[in-house]
Amino acid sequence: MNVFEIISNTNIDYKEKKHLLAQAAENTLSYVNLSVKTEKHLKKGILCDIFEGHAPYRPRYILPDYEKYMENGSQYLGIEPPNDLYDAVNALMVIYQFVPSITGYPVYVGQLDYILEKYIDTVSENEARKLIKMLLINIEKTLPDAFVHMNIGPKETKAGRIILEIERELKKAVPNISLKYSKQETSNEFAKLAAEVALEIGKPYFVNHEEIKNILGENYGVASCYNTLKIGGGSYTLVRLNLKKAALEAKDYNDFIEKVLPNVVDSLCEVINARAKFIVEEAKFFETSFLSKEGLIDINNFTSMAGIFGLYECIEVLTGLKLGHDEEAIKYADEILSKIKFVIDSIEGYGCYGTDGKIGFHAQSGIDSDIDVTAGVRIKIGSEPSIYNQIKTEGALHKYFNTGVSDIYVFDKTAKTNIDGVLKIVDAAMKSGIKVFAMNTSDSELIRITGYLVKRSDVEKYNRGEALREDTVKLGAESIKNNKTLDRRVREVE
Amino acid sequence: MKGFINRIIENSFIDGPGNRMAIFMQGCNMACLYCHNPETQRMCNLCMVCVDNCPQGALQQANGKIEYDKTKCIMCDRCLEACKNFSSPKYIEMESDELLKIILDNEIFLDGITFSGGECTLQIDFILEVIEKVKNKTSLTAFIDTNGFTDQESLDKLVKCVDGFMLDIKALNDKVHKKLTGVSNKPILENLEFLSKTGLLYEVRYVLVEGFNDSIEDVKEISYLIKNLNDYTRLVLIPFRPFGVKTELSKLPPYSKEKYNILYNEAIKILEDRVIEKG
Repeated sequence: MNVFEIISNTNIDYKEKKHLLAQAAENTLSYVNLSVKTEKHLKKGILCDIFEGHAPYRPRYILPDYEKYMENGSQYLGIEPPNDLYDAVNALMVIYQFVPSITGYPVYVGQLDYILEKYIDTVSENEARKLIKMLLINIEKTLPDAFVHMNIGPKETKAGRIILEIERELKKAVPNISLKYSKQETSNEFAKLAAEVALEIGKPYFVNHEEIKNILGENYGVASCYNTLKIGGGSYTLVRLNLKKAALEAKDYNDFIEKVLPNVVDSLCEVINARAKFIVEEAKFFETSFLSKEGLIDINNFTSMAGIFGLYECIEVLTGLKLGHDEEAIKYADEILSKIKFVIDSIEGYGCYGTDGKIGFHAQSGIDSDIDVTAGVRIKIGSEPSIYNQIKTEGALHKYFNTGVSDIYVFDKTAKTNIDGVLKIVDAAMKSGIKVFAMNTSDSELIRITGYLVKRSDVEKYNRGEALREDTVKLGAESIKNNKTLDRRVREVE
Repeated sequence: MKGFINRIIENSFIDGPGNRMAIFMQGCNMACLYCHNPETQRMCNLCMVCVDNCPQGALQQANGKIEYDKTKCIMCDRCLEACKNFSSPKYIEMESDELLKIILDNEIFLDGITFSGGECTLQIDFILEVIEKVKNKTSLTAFIDTNGFTDQESLDKLVKCVDGFMLDIKALNDKVHKKLTGVSNKPILENLEFLSKTGLLYEVRYVLVEGFNDSIEDVKEISYLIKNLNDYTRLVLIPFRPFGVKTELSKLPPYSKEKYNILYNEAIKILEDRVIEKG
């Protein structure tokens, strides 16, 4: 959209217009410096920067260390360390307005159960419930973006329970929630409550805490859609490689593995590094942000993300095999992912101190404009095999990714009557290597699009042309049209 | 040993506790008017009607049976509709080891397996062989979903190796029972008593069919029967649904939600949390 189209659009509200106008202003600058071959890959759509803009001036995802903020307060914000739950809730509501991201809203609002638990006994239980409800409503109203993401767990806390109970009552798409789930640390009762809530409202999703802890350490968070990153850090950028389009460039499978893939992954890393460098050296983000000055973020925890998508179609184009159905397909999947990881790891990641100097590897879960190409390493929507085969196939592939990979499993309503059975599948998925397990029921009012949720009724409003508070509704509505989101295989039980 | 299997549902939340693999055996010794999978009732008699009705050419007669080509099938179910014999060209003959492999391949996802049908106890030897093998190799539980119309000898064998039974009671009034199923309920009620005493009667299932077994008195009677039987068996009240039904009851509408709620509430008064709602 050009500036006039943005200003005169009746489908978007004032705040969203401001965001788009800022983007339009940014894009009057030329794109960060790239080689000719890399520009060509971007133009062809083999690489996609997810409309991050020409001249990035803040990291895509930031995960402030909110615990530190609560301990020290903030000089910049004039906030003292909280003494009770009232102060704590207020302090959080204040800082959220000052956390930048690609969307303009904080994509990570913290490990809220642990943060609030410290103050939970400073007020009565009734007050605690009211205050937490106020916080959750405030997040939903002032940060109307389904990429806004909260973490809970792995341990059960009073605050964690209250959060789930209130979210179940509110039934809103925002904030998104991840439960860090560990068979060792999460109580069975808490896991059951979380699964019950997830089947009702599509969140929280279950994150394989043991696996991710092994990669990033205990101090990680889940932000936006399935991005696992270090707390006090984040990701400068996420650029993705369309494996289907890359496959179409190749003469045959060997040509793809030996020539095409190393070439496009090299370009992928080039775009990523150029963008990260621009943020650090030109926009001087870390020199200007109070988050950095007050130690709530540290460049040493940052990284960038190299995303891939369309593995399913890539294998289909090159070999005619169908991932999840043809046993042999998994061998190709392994070889392709190993090769990409090898090339990424052979290149220094600019400022990627949070992941040992290498760019993080991410299975990107799709955007609204993707047509006929499957998210990440998932199996094509509508072609999913039996749930066990799906989990086993994808679980074997999740091991390659250190900064986010996931899938969504849709159950029919009988799942709600048998939470033990659902948890059995979740546990088996974790054992099979699944890193993030999102679940939904086919009759849920909240639909999980890629990693985020939208309300069915909001999608209908958008389709009627009404301007809506949540900017992600339009992405969700387009995604439903383009990605066949509602055709995900439902695990029907007779 | 080989068994005749109508189909395997790998992921079931409604056939016993936890997540289970449900194995539907072919063949039944009743012919319930409301049976919603009548294609499981009889063995194929090679009448060929299904072959003639398959629009995809997925069925053909060969080697003295109907061969079914999975790759051609579009799951239109015309073969099942056309079959006058309450059977299916798609059921398979499977070695116990083949079934065992499917179970073992998915063991980590499962709490157990459930044999259902048809009437699974008609293939008692096959079931026992599979259960024994499963129990030797895993900690999975084994449940039996039965219509209860079976002999004492089979039950004696089963109680030694299974972890639970789910038993259907179609009606308490014997005349109604005969009308609905073609057989008397006497042996079934005796088996109910027997299984209750073994401590393995996990669940009794009762399908509410308008005008047959769904008066308030009927529901009170079945509820009291379960209450007085023991202190652990659950009663699942299932509303009639016409999907798949091949008899005159196919014209009956789905059971009314309002009426269901009234009957469910009556049952709760007697059995409290031992009555399970099914929408």
